[in-house]
Amino acid sequence: MSEATPQDQPINSLGVLLAHALAMENDAADRYGELADQMEMHRKKDVASIFRRLEKAEKKHLVELEELTAEMDLPHISPWDFKWGGESPEAIAVDRVSYQMSVRGAILLALDHEKQAYGFYSRVAAQTSDSEVRRLARQFADEELQHVAWLEEWRDKCGPDDEMPFDDPDPPLSQE
Amino acid sequence: MESCVQKKKYLAKDYKSELKPIWCPGCGDYTVLNAITRALAEMALPPEEVAVVSGIGCSSRIPAYTSVYGFHGVHGRALPVATGLKLARPDLTVLVTGGDGDGFSIGGNHFLHACRRNVDLTYIVMDNQVYGMTKGQASPTTAPDWEGSKLTPEGTGINPFQPLVVGLASGANFIARVSASDPVNMAQIIVEAVRHPGFSLVQVLSPCVTFRPEQAVWRDTVRTAVVDYTDDAARAARRLMTDDGFNVGKVLYKGSRPPYRPEFEVSEGSIGELEARFAL
Repeated sequence: MSEATPQDQPINSLGVLLAHALAMENDAADRYGELADQMEMHRKKDVASIFRRLEKAEKKHLVELEELTAEMDLPHISPWDFKWGGESPEAIAVDRVSYQMSVRGAILLALDHEKQAYGFYSRVAAQTSDSEVRRLARQFADEELQHVAWLEEWRDKCGPDDEMPFDDPDPPLSQE
Repeated sequence: MESCVQKKKYLAKDYKSELKPIWCPGCGDYTVLNAITRALAEMALPPEEVAVVSGIGCSSRIPAYTSVYGFHGVHGRALPVATGLKLARPDLTVLVTGGDGDGFSIGGNHFLHACRRNVDLTYIVMDNQVYGMTKGQASPTTAPDWEGSKLTPEGTGINPFQPLVVGLASGANFIARVSASDPVNMAQIIVEAVRHPGFSLVQVLSPCVTFRPEQAVWRDTVRTAVVDYTDDAARAARRLMTDDGFNVGKVLYKGSRPPYRPEFEVSEGSIGELEARFAL
C-alpha cells in the first residue's frame, strides 16, 4: 500500500482552503497574463485575446478573494506543500503552448485547466469534515464551472479558421 | 507544511520586472524565471539584496526580467563577474543564470574554477543542448549524432560534456538536476541551493522548442531520482556513472567544504605602501 502524501489529506480548515484559493487565483491570473503577453509578443492577437480575457476573469476572482481574506491571518504554505502537488490546477503549463497554436487549441487548453480547478474544489468539498469549508469549496467549484461554461461556448463558436494552426511562412530554420 | 500564521512578505511577481520576455512560447526558460521568482519569494529576500548575473544567450536574458540587481555580462564570463560581486558584497545573494553554450563552452574554464573556488553562488544552467539564440548549432552538451544543424550535418561525433560530473570533480559543493516541466520542484531545489553554503550547481533540462522540438518529450522522459542526496563525493560520482541524464527533482550531492571567503585587509596606508606589498 502506498504511503499517504500531503496531497491526500483533506482540507478541514477555512484558512488553509483560502490560502489555496488565493494561490490558485494568483497563479492562474499570472499565467494567463504571461501567455497573453507571449502571444502578443509573437503577433498572435486572436490567441492572445483568449488568454487576456481569462486573465481578467481570474483577476476578478482574485480581488474578491483578497477582499474576503483582508482581515484574516492565513497560514503561509510553501509552493511545494499545496494539496494539489506541482503547479496549481488552473495554471496552464508553460511548455504546452506554441506560437503556432490555434484559437481552438488555446481554448481547449484553458478548458482542461479550468476543469482541473473545478475538480480540485469538488474533491475538497467531498473530503472535508468541516461544513464551512465544504460550503465555500462548493461555491468556488461553481465559479470554476462558470469559466468552463464560457470556454465551452467559445469552443462551440470556433469556425474553421480558428482550428487551423498558425502557418508560419518564414519558419525558424537552422542556418542554411 | 503550513507554518505559523503570517502574511507573506513578497509574492513571486514582486521579483519580476516590467519587461516582457521575448522567448519563444513553450520555452523552458519561462519556467525557470517563474521558479527563481517563486524561490526568492519563499525566502522573502528583499529584492535589493539579490543580484542575478548572466552571460549571453536566450537564458542569459533573465536578469532583465527580474526586479533585483542584474548584470547581463560578456559571453561565458558570468561566473567571474558573479565571483567578484559576491566577494565584494558578501551580504548579497548572488544567482548566476545562463545556458549550456555560455557556461560549458565559451565559459568552460571559468566553470571549472568557479566550482574549485567554491564561492557562495548559485549557478542555474538552462541546458537545452543547443545554441538557440544563434539559430541552432550544436553545443557542448549536444549528443554526437544530432544532425539538426547544417554546420554539423552528420552530427558532431563528439561525446557531450557532462556538467554534473565535471562540476563534482571540480569541487562544486551542491549539485542538482531539475526539469523545466516541474517549476515547483525547481523552486524548492533553488531554495536549497541558495541556502547551501558554497558553489551550487543546478542543471535545468530546459527544452528549446524551436531548434530542438524533439525535446518536447523530455516532459515524459524525465523521472524523479529514486535516491536522496549524498554528502559523499565518491558515492555521488558512482551514481553519475550510471546516470542517463534524465534523473531529476532531487539534490544529488551536498558537500561540506567551507566557501571561499577571503578576508580583505582594509589598508589605511598610502598607495605606495600598497604597491610595496606586491613589488618584486
